[in-house]
This record gives sequence, C-alpha cells and structure tokens, in this order.
Amino acid sequence: MKLAAPNEPMNSGSPELDGFEIKNRPFLGYGLLMSSVIGTLAVLIYFGAWASTDRIENRALAAGITESQTEGEWWEDGLIFACPLH
Amino acid sequence: MRNAALWFDKKLGLKEHSIAHYAWVIVGIAGVVQMVGAAIRMAFGVLVDPLVTAFGWSPGSIGLAYALMSIITALSSPIAGYLGNRYGARKTMAAGTVLFFIGMMWTSQTKEIWELYAAYGIVFGTSQALLLVPVVPAVAAWFRRHLGLGTGIMMVSWSLGPALVVQALAVLFNTVGWSQAFMIVGISGTATLAFILIFFKNTPEEAGRVAYGTRRNEKPLITSGNIFVSTQREFQGYVYKTNAFWNLINIHFLGCVGHAVILVGIIPLGISKGLGPLTAAGVLTTISIVSVITRFIAPVLSERLSAKTVMFIAFFGQGVGVFLLLTANSTLDFYIFAIVWAIPYGGEGTAFPVVNRQYYGHSPMGTTYGWQLLGAGLGMALGGALPGMVFDITGGYTWAIILSAVFSLAGAISIVLLDQSKRQLIPDWPEMETGAVTVGASASPARITTGSSPASGD
Repeated sequence: MKLAAPNEPMNSGSPELDGFEIKNRPFLGYGLLMSSVIGTLAVLIYFGAWASTDRIENRALAAGITESQTEGEWWEDGLIFACPLH
Repeated sequence: MRNAALWFDKKLGLKEHSIAHYAWVIVGIAGVVQMVGAAIRMAFGVLVDPLVTAFGWSPGSIGLAYALMSIITALSSPIAGYLGNRYGARKTMAAGTVLFFIGMMWTSQTKEIWELYAAYGIVFGTSQALLLVPVVPAVAAWFRRHLGLGTGIMMVSWSLGPALVVQALAVLFNTVGWSQAFMIVGISGTATLAFILIFFKNTPEEAGRVAYGTRRNEKPLITSGNIFVSTQREFQGYVYKTNAFWNLINIHFLGCVGHAVILVGIIPLGISKGLGPLTAAGVLTTISIVSVITRFIAPVLSERLSAKTVMFIAFFGQGVGVFLLLTANSTLDFYIFAIVWAIPYGGEGTAFPVVNRQYYGHSPMGTTYGWQLLGAGLGMALGGALPGMVFDITGGYTWAIILSAVFSLAGAISIVLLDQSKRQLIPDWPEMETGAVTVGASASPARITTGSSPASGD
C-alpha cells in the first residue's frame, strides 16, 4: 500500500461557503462558554466567601472579640464583598 | 453460527479492516507516548509523602506544584496544537521529549520548593502539552475513515499507563528513593520516547503511504507545503466562527470538573465513610479498569451512531451517577458506584477527536484540539481543588458531590445545544486535483480541489 509522496500543489482557491454557518458570529458558543466562566466564578466566590467568614469567626472566637472587631485579610474582605449571599 | 458471523461482519464492517497498515504502528506509538507522558502526571500522589519526609514541605505546598503543572499544561495546549499543525507532530513531540528529560532530571535534584515548581510545574508541565496534544491529531491524519477505532485503541492507554506506572513508581520509591526513581523513570522514559519517534511519521503522505480507510478512487489530502500552511490558516478561521468550537471547549471544561472532583475526592471520601486506605484506593483502581471499556467503545460508537448522542449519554451518566455517593456508606456501595460511574466516565472525553472529524472534516485539528485540552486542563485543575476546598469549609464532601453533578449535567445540556454531529460545519479539506490513490502509482498533483457540501462526511 505504498504511495509516492505527492508534490506540493501549485495553486488553490477559497472554498464555496454557501450552506455553512461560518459567515455568522458564533453567539451561542460564546454565550455558553461565558455562562460557564461566570457560573464557575460564582461558585468560587460563594465557597471562598463561606471559607472567609469561617476564618474570621474562628479568629474572633480565639481572640475573644466580636467579628466586627476582627481584621480580615484583603482577600477575605474581597470575597465577602463580592458574594451577595454572605 | 455462520449467520451470526456474517451479521457481525456486515454490522461492524469487518471486511473493510486490515491489520497490515502503518496507521496501527502510529496508533501504537501514540499509545506509548500517552502512557509515558500521562503516567508520571497521574502518579504525582506517590511523590507527596517522600517529599514531605525528605524536606519537611507541607502537602499543600507540594500539591501546588501539581496544580501549577496542570495549569501550565492547559495554557500551553493551544500553542502545542498549533506547533503540531505548523511544524509537524514529530518535531513538536521531540521538543516535548527534551523538556520531559530536563523536567524529570531537575525534579530529581530538587532541593528547594521553588525548584519543584519550576522543574515539575513549568518545564514538565510544558512537556506534557508538547507530548500529549499533537499526537491525537496526528493519529487522526492517518485515518481517512474508522478514526473512532484508532482513537479508541489509543485512548485505552490513558487508563493502562497510569495503572501500570503508579505501581512501578511506588516500588521504585521504596527501593531506590524518590530522587533516583525520578532519574530512572526520566532516563528510561526519554529513551523510549526518542526510540519510538524514529518510527513516527506525521502524515501518510510523508511516509509515502495512504491513510487508513482511503478508497481506491480517492485522492490524497494536502498535508504539506506553502499551500497547506495558508489553507490551514484559512480553514482554522472558519473553525473559530462555528458555535461548536467554543461550545466544545466549554463542554470539555465542564466534564473534566465533574470527574476530577470524584477522581481526587473518592479516596478521602471513602476513608471518611470508614473504608480502609487500601480499600478506598481499590475503588479508584476499579474506576480506572472499568473505564477502559468505554474509553474504547465511545469513539467507535460515536463514529457509527452520532458523537453528540454518545457524548450526551456519557455526560448525563457521569452527572447522575455521582448521586450514588450521597448514600454510599459501605465498601459494597463504593464498589457498585465505581463500576456504575466508570462506564459513562470512560466515554466522557474520548469522543472529541471523532466529533472534530464530523464537524470539521479532514481539516488539521491540532489547534482545535489544543483549545479543547485547554478547557479540559483548567477543568481538571479546578475539579481537583474543589473536594479539599469544600471539605475545609463544610467538614464533608456532600457539596463537592453536588458540584460534580452540576458541572457534568451542565455539560450534558451544552451538548444538546451542539449542532447535529452528522452535519459538517465547514467545507471539506482540499484534496489533490490529480494523483488519485493508486497502489504503487506516483501522484503528480497540479492543483487542489475543495469540496463544499455541508452534508458531506465520511
């Protein structure tokens, strides 16, 4: 089944694109990908804010002070601020 | 009995197959590349305890090297795919082999944690992309038809490699220590890769042969030269404009988050439910072994039926199957889960080369597949981090199981929104105008032709 290697072709033309979707913008594909990115960020922010709240609570308990008196790390404050559920 | 044999022959098209074709050598080489490349990656868990003992680093800081490696591999995958298309899979994998050697040797000599991050995370991580991304599109180039069969055989090595090498590494670590073990595996792995790459050919045309499944009246495809480069760029532009291109990256990401949660979390979950460490590890081994079946079957069925349908079943099964873990309390429960869940899990990722062929014809798929592996790699990194993160917060794994199901089922919904996979989305990749495939005949093409039927396919 051996075949001699073909020579380099000499010329080409663009293919006929009628009947294919490729002239449109792929909004559905972009939309689904962006939905996953946003959904994943939402999950990470929710669990990150949950973890931050726990950490601040634990520090407050250990120091015998209230949570509002406890200094949060910048990322803990950021996650709690970003999460509407915490 | 004869009737049954004839029925199978007709149904499976066995007459069309031949074992005497160089495409199977390429599949074998690809399988070995996948085994050597992926096995060290999957065996990282074996490395953690020896490093904790030797240097006193925390498991978390050592685990960061794995996360870094996963992210670097993911980010460099589209580049590796492009390099495979542009310069050929062989040269790209040769570069990957050099980086594999440097990464393994440097890791074996690591004294500081930053060295582990640089050697294993960055150098070894890049080598993974250069080795594992171009090899799949290269196999695809060797199959004009029956890509599902070629892919299925190659994908089996994803499961077998780690299963074999993890055991071998564990024995090596115990006998010669982690540093020498890495050196031995690095040298033997590099020698193996260098040897088999001698026999690797990027395309059938480069080897002076025809692709597997090529019919007598068909002409060879364009696979080299300036026209190839410009046509490939033009066709890749068409691929970027399809919904399927972006959605498949999304789907691979969602599916990989879904199963990475389980693969990373199943042992600690089992132990938390009272299973012994060895029994819990056995659950993971069972998943690896059972999933071999569907790793092979999924691409074959995808080609015969519809890749979209097979992918939907796999994602849906992977998502629904994890709910068995919510009520699993005994060893039997965990092993039933392992067997039931491994079936859809095995079919989750192996149909991608086939669906690429169904959507994009014979267009070189290196860049496209590289982008899909970017989604997969980021999904594996996120899914691998979720169980530990959820456990630290909630003290249990219930939320991790629910998240795994949510991601897999979101992937199943995204699959429903894909185009019908029997319908090609871009024009056919051009053939040579002259030089139809004739055994022993020399091809002398004058110009190229491009098919344009939207319904065309294999």
